[in-house]
Amino acid sequence: MASLRRFFLRLVNAFRPWRAEPDLDRELASHLQLLEDDFRRRGLSAEEAKLAAKRAFGGVEHTKNRHRDARGFVWIDDIRRDAAYALRAARRSPGFALLALAIMALGIGANTAVFSVVNAVLLKPLPYQNPERIVTLSTSVVGRETGPIRGQIADADFEDWRSQASSFDAMAYFFGRAASVMVGEQAEYARVGRVSGAFFRVFGVQPIAGRWFDTNEIKPGPPTVAIVGAAFAQSHFGGIHEAIGRTLRLANRSCVIVGVAPADFAFPEGTEVWAPLPLPDIANPLRRGGENFRAVARLNSGVTLEHAQSEMTAIARRLEQQYPDTNTGRHVIVTRLHDQLVGDVRLMLYVLLAAVVLVLLIACTNLATLLLARATARTQEMNVRAALGASRERIVRQMLVEGLVHGFCSGMLGLALALAGLKTLVALIPGNVPRLDEVAIDQRVLLFTLVVSVIASVLLALAPAFQASHVQPECGLRQGGTRSVDGNGMRRTREGLVVVQLASSVVLLAAGGLLIRSFLALQNIPLGFQPERVLVVDATVATPDPRQPATLFFRDLLAAISKVPGVVAAGATMAAPGRVDSTGAYWIDYVPRPNEMRTGRSNVNSIVAPGTFTALGIPLVRGRDFGDRDVRDAPMTAIVNQTLARQALPGQEVIGHKIVCAFDTLKPMTIVGVVGDVRQAGPADESRPECYMPYLQHFYNGATLSFVIRTATDPMLLAETVRRKARGLVPSVPVRFTTLDALTAQNVAQPRFRALLIGAFAAVALALSVIGVFGVMAYAVSQRTAEIGVRIALGATPGQILRLLFGRASAMIAIGLAVGFVVAGLTTRFLGSLLFAVKPTDPVTYVGVAALLAGTSFVALYVPASRATRVDPLVALRQE
Amino acid sequence: MASESKERVELLQGTLDLIVLRALHTMGPQHAYGLAARLEQIAQPSLTLNQGTLYPALVRLEQKGWIKGTWQRTESNREAKYYTITKAGVRGLEKQTERWRRLAGLVDKLLLNEG
Repeated sequence: MASLRRFFLRLVNAFRPWRAEPDLDRELASHLQLLEDDFRRRGLSAEEAKLAAKRAFGGVEHTKNRHRDARGFVWIDDIRRDAAYALRAARRSPGFALLALAIMALGIGANTAVFSVVNAVLLKPLPYQNPERIVTLSTSVVGRETGPIRGQIADADFEDWRSQASSFDAMAYFFGRAASVMVGEQAEYARVGRVSGAFFRVFGVQPIAGRWFDTNEIKPGPPTVAIVGAAFAQSHFGGIHEAIGRTLRLANRSCVIVGVAPADFAFPEGTEVWAPLPLPDIANPLRRGGENFRAVARLNSGVTLEHAQSEMTAIARRLEQQYPDTNTGRHVIVTRLHDQLVGDVRLMLYVLLAAVVLVLLIACTNLATLLLARATARTQEMNVRAALGASRERIVRQMLVEGLVHGFCSGMLGLALALAGLKTLVALIPGNVPRLDEVAIDQRVLLFTLVVSVIASVLLALAPAFQASHVQPECGLRQGGTRSVDGNGMRRTREGLVVVQLASSVVLLAAGGLLIRSFLALQNIPLGFQPERVLVVDATVATPDPRQPATLFFRDLLAAISKVPGVVAAGATMAAPGRVDSTGAYWIDYVPRPNEMRTGRSNVNSIVAPGTFTALGIPLVRGRDFGDRDVRDAPMTAIVNQTLARQALPGQEVIGHKIVCAFDTLKPMTIVGVVGDVRQAGPADESRPECYMPYLQHFYNGATLSFVIRTATDPMLLAETVRRKARGLVPSVPVRFTTLDALTAQNVAQPRFRALLIGAFAAVALALSVIGVFGVMAYAVSQRTAEIGVRIALGATPGQILRLLFGRASAMIAIGLAVGFVVAGLTTRFLGSLLFAVKPTDPVTYVGVAALLAGTSFVALYVPASRATRVDPLVALRQE
Repeated sequence: MASESKERVELLQGTLDLIVLRALHTMGPQHAYGLAARLEQIAQPSLTLNQGTLYPALVRLEQKGWIKGTWQRTESNREAKYYTITKAGVRGLEKQTERWRRLAGLVDKLLLNEG
């Protein structure tokens, strides 16, 4: 009790140290008075009694200090005083303080912003129940040149997995795509997920209105029920409860809404409407061949990922033996959902975080050199303080407190900057990075900012504190002048800091250089088509009988569009270049039997309308384009790309041969033309063999096409005309617009973003380290003006002076570059998978970085050094 | 190391606090000078007390609530701060005296054995 009471009183006193002072003064005065009275009584004179009293009492100031120690916490008081002193010092030179604050705040702000993205995308758990137990199941096929798209699975396989696996609490398969959804008379594109029965159980989410699907609603045939997201329910039906029991049309079938999903549930990829998948026809062997679905599952509690993986491996092996025609070489891979979602992005974000931390490190060391220069100017102050009795620890602590005050202010400002800039950063990030809507400043981000600020302030204060620990009290009053001499250790510290800056800059510049070169390489890849001024119009026509009206809609609209002024060429395609989504197998002059489906070679399948090649700028190499004769009842035709022609019949003419594609039909098609290759999956992927088929001969896939319209001017100007004409033909058709340029840019959005941001960081690093080099040189020159004056007076030539100044500085730069290259060599290989056509050890980049840094550094050296050679010896000597 | 040196400080501090507390208990209210004079008188010549050293002990005891200081007039009509032991102080004195006796006994025993 008593000690607790004392603790609180001390705490109170620590923050109000002045409060007890008058009382103490009064008590000490009274004590001295009583002593004095006593000595008077013993017969001393008034003067003598006063002196004797003081002697008997001991040091009054010392007693006061001990009293303060005992009644408060002296260190709190000291820190309070140091902080006040730091603020006063900042007010004395506001320019420097503001500059330092701005640099640090920018550094901390950038770190906070990037970390909040890392936090949202990589660190925060997914918003599902026990998200660490949710896994994805995907397949990979050994020995096939191009496997299934993103590890997709066959629904027939899934049924076997479900009946055999015991690792999972719930398993589901699904696919998601943008599809036409009609509410009332209004049709639009929405993300639609087609899911199997246990889908929502895998995620452990509950409907916020209504219910999930009943078991009797999972049946063969088209869906009759649907579930919508909260936002969709709100915008289309005016509320979540209002949506229950209403209908919407999917694939032109009426579905009753039975449930509403919570607002934060939008799996997969922003899905707004879910409908049940039909039960698979397991007996059909072709179902096992097509890999069109993805699968998720929830691990039983206590089951590890490794255990689930080994169980699935065993099941896959059994299926290989059971269905050798389809399943030979087919493996199952179990991955945590979170890992699978962030897969590609993880490395990029960590690289970004590393870069921004490096920039902050450079900013800190840069500021530290500035502070060090000021510390030299303050040597005098420190020596005087030491001479007056300040302990060494006390002075070091003062420096640290100054750093912390600075760090705290910069941290607050940096946080404000991060809050302001976060939207811009998120807008810069390519849209295919998941979970961007979850980016926010939360507790973890705040903690990060705090830690970064403290580390940064300690880094800042370390050099001056080290310097201050070498105070020499005996010099305090001796040196007296305005100039102070800079010790050897001091100079070495400052040069060491510049070495750190140069080395860090090398790493950033090398990373930035590699990413920029890689991006440029991607940009310079010939894509095989001309993306400029092409309008892309997605349109879907779904009718109960998909045959005639759909294809007629596309034919009629295409004819109408071709007549619009400003249209150079028009066509329609299943997947615009860069959006490849259908792969299969092909055979030349051979129709495979059902058990031979694995014998074909892999290719990309495409459905196009006549005129598409012209509209996209894909050259027709030989033969003819599709035309009016390639219709439903005419002989089947196909056009192949050069890669397929070369691969199928090397050295022979492929035109006139028959091709069979495992697509919607196994009927042989006569090859009538060969077109140039395009990079179907973006510039980073080689062209694959591709077979184009006429849309009027493949009605099912011909119902969802994208028009591609090459125009003479801005393609977007045509959008309204196209929409009007489309609605004129089929009032309920949903259409949406983009340009081929925009689609092409999406394929390189991540490389562009990486190159842009790391490049910007590298530029900042370069600027900061050049300023650092300049600062060191300018300071050295200012310190040695007198010496240089003497040398010039004694006949030294400018060349000799330059050599004198350059010698040490060049060594510093050389060391900085060397250290930087070693570190860069060790770290840039982590960039490997982010690079395209450039090796992490790319000599061009490294030579370029070396030349750039060395060049700018020498300019930064030369400017102050050349001024030194023009020193007037008389002026220089008079300064002393 | 750190805890050892801390204990030593604690012990010395505690000793002075105990002596002051005991003096106030037996003598009744006293000002700092009176306490110092009394201690010098009793302990002479083994203890030469720098009178200022009393103050930290006084502030510690006051913060613990064991003594209470009030401004009064001396017989010679000078103003002085008189310290009085409180009820909590009396209890504290008993406890601390007991502790000190045990500690002193223990140290004595150890010194005898080792000697």
